[in-house]
Amino acid sequence: MMHKLSVGVQSKNIISDDYPIEGFEMLKRAGYTCCDFSLNSYLPNTALYEHRRNDFFDQPLHKLKAFFEPHREAAQVTGVRINQMHMPYPNYVPGAPKEINEYLLKVVAPKSMEICAFFECPYIVVHGFKLAGALGSEQAEWDRTEEFLRSLAPMAKEHNITMCVENIYTDSGNHIIEGPCCDAGKAATRIDRMNAEYGVEVLGFCFDTGHANLTGLDFEAFIMTLGKRLKVLHIHDNDGIGDLHQIPYTFSRGRENKTSTDWDGFLAGLRKIEFDKVLSFETAPALSAFPDRMKREVLGFIAQIGYYFAGEVEG
Amino acid sequence: MSLTIYENFAVKAEVLSERYGATVQISFSTKSIHGLSRIGSDPYSVLDKDAYGITVDAETFCGRNVLEYHGVKAGGKVFDTDAAAERFAAFIRDCKRSSVHLCAMRAPRLRWDTKRTDLNELMLQTGKECISACAGTGCGYIVIQPLFSGIAGADLWQENHRYYSALGKMAKQTGIQILMENQCRNTNGHLARGVCADAVVAAEWIDKLNEESGAEVFGFCLDTGACSLCRQDMGEMAAALGRRVKAVLVRECGGVHEASRLPFTGRNVNGQDVDWKSLVRGLRKTGFDGILIMDAGDTLKGFSHLLRPQVYPLIRSVAEYLKWQIGMEKCIREYPVRVLFGAGNMCRQYMTCYGQQYPPLFISDNNPGLWGTMVYGVEVRPPEVLKELPEGCAVIICNTFYEETARQLKALGVSQIGTFSDECLPGGMD
Repeated sequence: MMHKLSVGVQSKNIISDDYPIEGFEMLKRAGYTCCDFSLNSYLPNTALYEHRRNDFFDQPLHKLKAFFEPHREAAQVTGVRINQMHMPYPNYVPGAPKEINEYLLKVVAPKSMEICAFFECPYIVVHGFKLAGALGSEQAEWDRTEEFLRSLAPMAKEHNITMCVENIYTDSGNHIIEGPCCDAGKAATRIDRMNAEYGVEVLGFCFDTGHANLTGLDFEAFIMTLGKRLKVLHIHDNDGIGDLHQIPYTFSRGRENKTSTDWDGFLAGLRKIEFDKVLSFETAPALSAFPDRMKREVLGFIAQIGYYFAGEVEG
Repeated sequence: MSLTIYENFAVKAEVLSERYGATVQISFSTKSIHGLSRIGSDPYSVLDKDAYGITVDAETFCGRNVLEYHGVKAGGKVFDTDAAAERFAAFIRDCKRSSVHLCAMRAPRLRWDTKRTDLNELMLQTGKECISACAGTGCGYIVIQPLFSGIAGADLWQENHRYYSALGKMAKQTGIQILMENQCRNTNGHLARGVCADAVVAAEWIDKLNEESGAEVFGFCLDTGACSLCRQDMGEMAAALGRRVKAVLVRECGGVHEASRLPFTGRNVNGQDVDWKSLVRGLRKTGFDGILIMDAGDTLKGFSHLLRPQVYPLIRSVAEYLKWQIGMEKCIREYPVRVLFGAGNMCRQYMTCYGQQYPPLFISDNNPGLWGTMVYGVEVRPPEVLKELPEGCAVIICNTFYEETARQLKALGVSQIGTFSDECLPGGMD
């Protein structure tokens, strides 16, 4: 059955830098037509939180482009479109030396935009700053994020890229709580304001189902509030406690053994806003959890869920 | 030993909030009280009836499943609602006789994981009965759960509009305010944001109903436990609801299962599980002067009944601490002019957060080495100058030696003394 909606998945744990064509071919065979390029995996967040960084983005732009040329070619050859990309995160590390945060702002972020343009990728996912606790309010936190986005907006406009802010979480002790961009109403207002100012869609939204589940969001209401501002998806599942990035429908917490994630609400929301973009999964840990020899089957299974979703959304 | 510490702290906290003239009221949920039959006379109860009020949780008398089991035989017996009503009435009589102030009531609630979709009319009836039971008791608020079971998302407002309008008419006549409460929604064991969990939507409902009632008949009770289960930022929610928040149900959940534990008890190596600082900041912003309903029932039950009398002072202290913190900004605002005492870190925090809004005339400190120096552009002067303060000027203690400093200030003839704490400021604590 042909679907209007495309299905994609992240490149992490699938596409290697040594032989990118192998990974893209695997995606194609599994049924994917799109790929979410995991640029974030080139600057691990775990190191950044410890105030360390590697030197990957120190390379001049022409070297970075040369590095990614095989990836671009492989995507073109296989016909798997890089429809979205994840900028390394965090973009600001509270308490880190000034040099780290300046590097993220002035080197990593602009080069990420250039790489996104190099792939002719229309969407790049950007995390907001987690500063509500330090600054005292969500608005003050957003102001800092907006300042950061504005520093990139001219590049976004020039390259026809839409930066997509994502609903993310923060933590209090061992307890996950809502973080930046978990208020759809505020997000919609802010997106409209910035886009009106720049005259093009420099800003959009990435709805992350796993984070929404963790932060107790109402999927359907959230998606409907966003409407056409919703450009990109991160589809994955968890137990409602940890950010596990697992395959949809794999968690149940009641005696009825039914899914504890509101996938019906998710699909209803997408259907109501007539979502027409890519159903993109972000399930890298599921791929590393299964034995390597099962990777193709696991990828195929995730793609099948994607096409089931497509059927439900298209109606 | 520990009892002495808690008792001392309780006294200290009470003194501080009294000094500040904080208007937040503290009440204890009946779920936090052991031995309800001795409500007016138990010297070991959590309740000091002269200082605190009580919030009747109807479930204390009728059980948690009274609505759920309506018309169904539970354990071979049909639930005896008349007996529960009689227990409730006897309790109210006892409160009256003992001059215990009844601040609020929480009506029976439907469980979030209910499968019953036929109980909405029963909930309306129960709500009316609760309003009727509260009439004439001095109870100002009744918390009534919104309808949710069996109602499609698109119909929630319509159904609740009908429901609350009917209840509102009765509440207006009896002079009681109905408070909606944020709910969780159960998706096969996972709790997410339910009805009234979106502050913007809840505010719209309240405003619309009040407009139709022609009076402030409706308000909001912020359930910190439901916020925690839905991973919501309590401070942002409180700030968004603003003055509509008339009561805060103070309880700590582990974040996964519903519970009513004492705040600050959920702590691990990574920090505090519940961000109470955020709640304090949010309520400060709104100038909250409603009721804190303390529900630490599960913490209390966790202890042997022999130990419970020793837990009560801690519950009281936590309540007083929260009241003091929430009211702090409001009280600073109420002093027309002020001087800060103490030129250390806490003073710097004051200047960073409040220096522009509520600037001090000067800063005083006991350290002669600091006299004549400037902190954030304000001069540090010796304590002796406090003998000649202008009319209405208060001295705000900006160090943790509250009592010692207060004694020193009194000896200098200072009559208006306030206290400041930087624990709940942005970026403070932890």
